Parts: sequence; C-alpha cells; structure tokens
Amino acid sequence: MPLITDFVSRAGSAAQSLWEAGGQLLTPAVRIGVTGLARSGKTVFTTALVHHLMEGHTLPALRASAQGRLRRAGLAHQPDDAVARFPYEEHIAALIEQRRWPQSTTRISELRLELDYERGSRWRPGPASLALDIVDYPGEWLLDLALLDVSYREWSRRTIEASRRPDRAAIAGSWRAGLAELDPAAPADETIAERASNAFKAYLAALRAGPEAVATTPPGRFLMPGDLAGSPALTFAPLELKPDEPIKARSLAALMERRFESYKTHVVKPFFRNHFQRIDRQIVLVDVLAAIDAGPAALAELEDALDQVLLAFRTGRNSLWSSLFSPRADRVLFAATKADHIHHTSHDRLEALLRLLVARASRRTEAAGARVGAVALASVRATRETSVREGWETLPAVAGTPEAGERVGDEVFDGETEAAVFPGELPERPEDVLEGAIPPGSLRFPRFRPPRVDRGAFGRRARMPHIRLDRALEFLIGDYLL
Amino acid sequence: MSRRPRAYRLDDPDVVTVRSGDPPAEAPGAVVVTEEPLETIEAADGAVVPLGERRGLSWGGLLGGALGSLLLLGLGLALERFIADLLRTAPVLGWLALGLAGVALLALLAIVLREAFGVLRERQIERLREAAAEALAIRDHEAAKRVVAALAALYGDRRRFADSRARLAGWSDEIIDADDRLALAEREFLAPLDAEAKRAIATAARQVSLVTAVSPRAIIDVAFVVVAAVRLLRRIARIYGGRPGLLGFLRLARAALSHLTVTGGVAIGDSLVQQAVGVGLAARISAKLGEGVINGLMTARFGLAALAVCRPLPFVREEAPRLADVAGELLAGGDKEPPH
Repeated sequence: MPLITDFVSRAGSAAQSLWEAGGQLLTPAVRIGVTGLARSGKTVFTTALVHHLMEGHTLPALRASAQGRLRRAGLAHQPDDAVARFPYEEHIAALIEQRRWPQSTTRISELRLELDYERGSRWRPGPASLALDIVDYPGEWLLDLALLDVSYREWSRRTIEASRRPDRAAIAGSWRAGLAELDPAAPADETIAERASNAFKAYLAALRAGPEAVATTPPGRFLMPGDLAGSPALTFAPLELKPDEPIKARSLAALMERRFESYKTHVVKPFFRNHFQRIDRQIVLVDVLAAIDAGPAALAELEDALDQVLLAFRTGRNSLWSSLFSPRADRVLFAATKADHIHHTSHDRLEALLRLLVARASRRTEAAGARVGAVALASVRATRETSVREGWETLPAVAGTPEAGERVGDEVFDGETEAAVFPGELPERPEDVLEGAIPPGSLRFPRFRPPRVDRGAFGRRARMPHIRLDRALEFLIGDYLL
Repeated sequence: MSRRPRAYRLDDPDVVTVRSGDPPAEAPGAVVVTEEPLETIEAADGAVVPLGERRGLSWGGLLGGALGSLLLLGLGLALERFIADLLRTAPVLGWLALGLAGVALLALLAIVLREAFGVLRERQIERLREAAAEALAIRDHEAAKRVVAALAALYGDRRRFADSRARLAGWSDEIIDADDRLALAEREFLAPLDAEAKRAIATAARQVSLVTAVSPRAIIDVAFVVVAAVRLLRRIARIYGGRPGLLGFLRLARAALSHLTVTGGVAIGDSLVQQAVGVGLAARISAKLGEGVINGLMTARFGLAALAVCRPLPFVREEAPRLADVAGELLAGGDKEPPH
C-alpha cells in the first residue's frame, strides 16, 4: 500500500515538474530554497535580498550587477495563489523605521521577484528576465521532514529516548510521569489521547524555551500549528511501546499511530512536495553563534538536526532526465548568519566552524555532484567594526545597539545606548568548541538591533548594510544571469 | 590567555570615540574606540577585477575565417594544377614540387597546432584564475582543490617545482580551508615566478627609458617601446607557463590593454604625485630624459597589466606588485617605499 501511494505521489510530482519545465521555456524561474531552523534568519535574509534587488543597489560581487546588466527588479504575481504573500513591505518597514527584527514567522508565505537584465553573452545579447521564487516558512516545521521516513514506533522510541537525557530531566519530568501511566493496549479514548497530546505539547514548548533550544524537536506544528490547531492530525503523542509487540487494533496505540501517519500525509508531505521538492538552488542558514553561546550540547544537536533535514532534500547534478522529471538542487550554500556579531578578522574561524558543523551533509552533497559553498554573512549588518584600546590592549570589537535586556559581563543594555562589544575570541581549532574545550563565559554574542539607516537625499531609501550577501547571490543565481 | 568578552558603552564619559584615520585621541587612562569604515570587510575580502567578458565567435571572425578558407582553397587548387602541370611536362621537377608542398603542409600543420595549443593553454590559465576567484569568494573547498591540482599539472614539467608539487600533494588530502589551500599553492608555485616577472618588467622599463633618453629619433623610440612591450608580454607569459603563438599573443595583448584601461595600471598604494614629480624632475634636466622616464613608466605599467593577465591565480595572500616595485628608480627618489 505505501508503495502504491508513493508511486502515485511520485508520478504526480513528475507531472508537475514536466508542466513547469514547459512553463520554464516562456519565463525562466529559479526556486531558491531558503532553509534554516527557527531563528536562523530566513525572513531577514529574504527581506534583505529583495530590498537590495528592488532598490537597485550595486552588489559588487554579483557579476550581473557589477557589470550594470541588472536593469530592474519588481515583485510579480506569485505562482501559487493558495499561499500567503511574503509581507516584504511590512518587514522592511519594521527593519528600517522601527529598528526591530521581523516577528518570528508563523505561516508559510511566498514571493516572486522578477529580474530584468541584459544578457551578457555575445551570441544572444538583449534583454531577458528571470523569476526568483522564494518561500518563507516557520523554521520549526523544517525538522518534520526528518519524520517522513520514520514509523510511529521508531519515532516514539527516539523521542522518549531523547527525553531521558540528564539535562532534560527537569523539563521532561511531568510529561514522562503521565506517559508511564498510559497503557498503549488500552482501548482508544479521545480524552486520554488529547490529554497525552497536551502534556507532550507542553514538554515540547518547555524544551523550546530552554537555554539550548537551537533545534526544536519535531513535530513542528505542535509549536507552530498554523491553521491546523486542534485537528486530529495534531492530537497525538508518543507512547512507550514494547519493542516487538504488535499494535492491537482499536487500542490507544493504534489511534496514535493512525494520527501520526495522517500528520505525515496531510501536513508534512504536502509541505515538502509543494515547497521543497522542486528547488533549484538551496541556501542553508545556520546560526552558529547562537549555538556556540548555548554550549557544546546545543552544537551537537544542531549538527544532527541539520544532517537529518538535509537528508530529505534532493541534491546533485542534474541530467536531462532528472531536470525534466525530478529536478535537484545543484548548488547548495551553507551560510553562517549574523557574521556582523564578530569582527571580520574572526570570520574565517566562523566559517571553519560552520564547515565543521555541516561536514557530513556537505560531503554527501558533494558526492552527489552538487556544488557546495560556505560563507559567513550578515543579511542585515547591525554593527560597525571598531578597535578598542584599553590600556595596553587593543581589542577587535563591533559597535551597535544591543537589544534591550542583553547582557555582557556586568552590563545590561536598555536597547537604546550604543556599545562596542568584544565578544571573545573564536578558537583557532573549530573542534575545540564541539569538544567543550572553551571555558564557559569566554564567548558572548549579544543580539543587536537593526542598524540606524538614514534616509538618503531626495527621499530615496538608503541601503541596508550587509556582509557578503552579494557573494551568496552570485553563488546562487549568478549563472542564470549570464 | 583568553580575553574575556566585554562591552563598552559609547555614551560613557570614559570612552572616547574616534574615526579611523583621525589623529589618536589624547586621553590618558580612557578607553579609545576607533571606528573602522564600513568598507573594511569588502576590502579584506579582496574584490577580484574580472577581465573583459570572454569573447565567443563573432561575425567578423566568422567572415575572416570563411574568406581565409576560400583563399586557402583557391591556393590549394592552383597549387594542385601547378604540380599536375609540372608532373606532365617535367616529372622530376614535379616530384620535387610535390615534396616541397608536402613539407609546407607539414609545417603549416605544426604551426596551426602550436597556435591552437598556445591559445588553449591561455584559456586554461584564464579559466584557472576565474575558478580560483570563484572558489575564494564562497570558500568552495572542492573547487579550491581542483584549482590547486590544475595548477600543479600546469607546472608539472618544471623541474624546479618538483619539491613544491610533492609538498602540495602531501597536503591534498588534509582538510585545509579553501583560501589557505590556494595561498599555499600561490606561495609554492607563484611567488618565485612573481619575483622573476617583476625582474623582467624592471629590466624592460629600464631599457626603454635608457634607449628613449639616448635615441636620436622619435621613430626609434616608438619602435623600441613597441618591441620591448611585445617582448615583455611574451616573456611574462612564458614565465607563468603560457606559450603564446601569434594568435595567443594577440589575445593576451588585448586582455592586457583592456586591463590597463580598467585599472590605469595604477595599483592601490601607488601615488600619482610620485610619478608626476619624478617625471617633472627629469624633464627639468632634459626633455629627452623626461620622455625616457615616461616611456619607462608606461612599459612598467603595461608589464604589470600583463602580469595580472598571465598569472594563473588572483593574488590571494601575496601582495600584488606595485609600480614602485618594478620601476622604483624611475620614480621620485626619497619617498619610495622599500621593496617587499
């Protein structure tokens, strides 16, 4: 049975790809997959990208822009009418006028940007246009992709095992106490199921609020339900199943299993099929600094989560056949975001750390024939670089406005005063961080508010500063703009 | 000793903020925060000047090619008639002519092959430079590896690099960052070649300025400058592993000239004042001498452009040579920077 549904869904997506390949001839389009866990900066990246392209700022490292071949960019009608539009105007206004970061994303949204450019080749000069499709979604949902290949039994086992970790004992205590009382073989009962599910949700939410929550535990819709709150597909929980005891019909376990499966078919699969299966270029945003701040356990979790997510994607070199029926992402860029939190002399070390974190995933991607790059970037650069001389010492520091409530040493900030922050030194050997060789407290990366952007002359909006956003763009779409 | 993270409020009276480039603040005991300009990061990343776009086949080229082929066809036909006639009237001469024609054909083939090989080699170098720039931009680790392997292959037949190749091969499986790997290759292969190229440019510039200063006729200067530039370009191309034939040479010359128009041949750190002062001073002493200095500087600039065009990697960690490095003695004396 799963075989048949699998076949049908594949045939469906192949037909969709073929249909799109036909459309490609008329207006070429690139789908950029902006991938990243919660709080990794997907929305800001997308907003900044649209901002620079729409305002026509010169992006020196994007060759088409540096050569002046990029004529105009504008928002166009998005391809899927059923999906919300990415509220670009709202986000950019929040960034520039209120100097605050966009709210965390709660639902999926989409955007199509149309670029008019001059072709650079001699054979076919003249104007051309390219459509960029970008999808923004809550990062919490991303880890659901790892559920696609997992059975209910396996998922229960893993989730319960993970909750046994000593550092989670306090958080998981009440949920696990309730779990021990549940009998999987008992007859199915809606109230029990709901109670179990609520206890599980509370556990997930507590995990997320915890200090080391770099990667959330799936299912992601339990934290960000979107418009599905309260539906049966979102009312289930793991159970303690005996390893080789079959699940009895009409039992509580059977009910949970069915709902887990329908969560997969009705929630995860459509999400994956509609938004991730047909990605041409992928950028994976990773907030390495926040994970370092949270400690080695968080880093290990981040690495594992990224690896699981990236397993779900199809990457590799395209052949004629695959480009027609199941296109693959042939370029994958790993980006360490928020590079503006450290001085540029440490960017190399940040990149090294990023590469270490995604080593498994990037080796696999490279083996599949896709091009892999790594870069430390800041979609919106919130700080200026400074050097601080105190006595005999000179420290490379960054200056900006730390968010209200951020603390560095004894200082607590109110969100208005500017400060130069020396965040500590990233280790020369990236492995040191994973091994926990960094003494706690020797690194601190406070969050900064968005930069103050002056309005330019004649009412033109001044540009938001960024770090290496243009390089990322050149890697992602440079070859389409030849 | 690790330095602990700390923060300095900019509105704190003990904290003095200055812009970089300003004179250091006189504030004993206070903390001085120096703001660096926003462009520092771009400057540190090093934007690579891309050469003019790669030219594909143009219609003009197609026309030239087709006309040339027609001409060649006609020539061949005439030759064939001629030899056939000869064979009929004087068989011995006919056979001789046939043999000569064969030798000519062989030579033509060899020349064509050499030209094609030279152009291919140049393209290879160009592609290498582009690939290196791309790998650098996005720290593409596999691409960097490929570039280094290609570079090693390019210099595979030079005995002086045997050690370097072995060292790099030893590092090939180690996990090194893309830019470090390229910098290693640059140090091993290109640093000695850079020095050689710089010497070649300096020699050419000196010769040109000398000849211009003493030559009796303007036409001789011009001829000598052109010849020196041609020789310099070939020399530099050879140093970096190119083997330009005529076509390859023309390609290179075009690239170097367009590079010269883009950058003006003036690298960062060269001051125009220096040059003007040098020329002015020399011209005071003798008009001819001033011309000599100008021509020498021009040759040096052209040499630098040629170097940028022929070098298989962009400058990664090595410092790009400046006018003062290759034409130091032609510039105004006192404030010249010491060579690196």
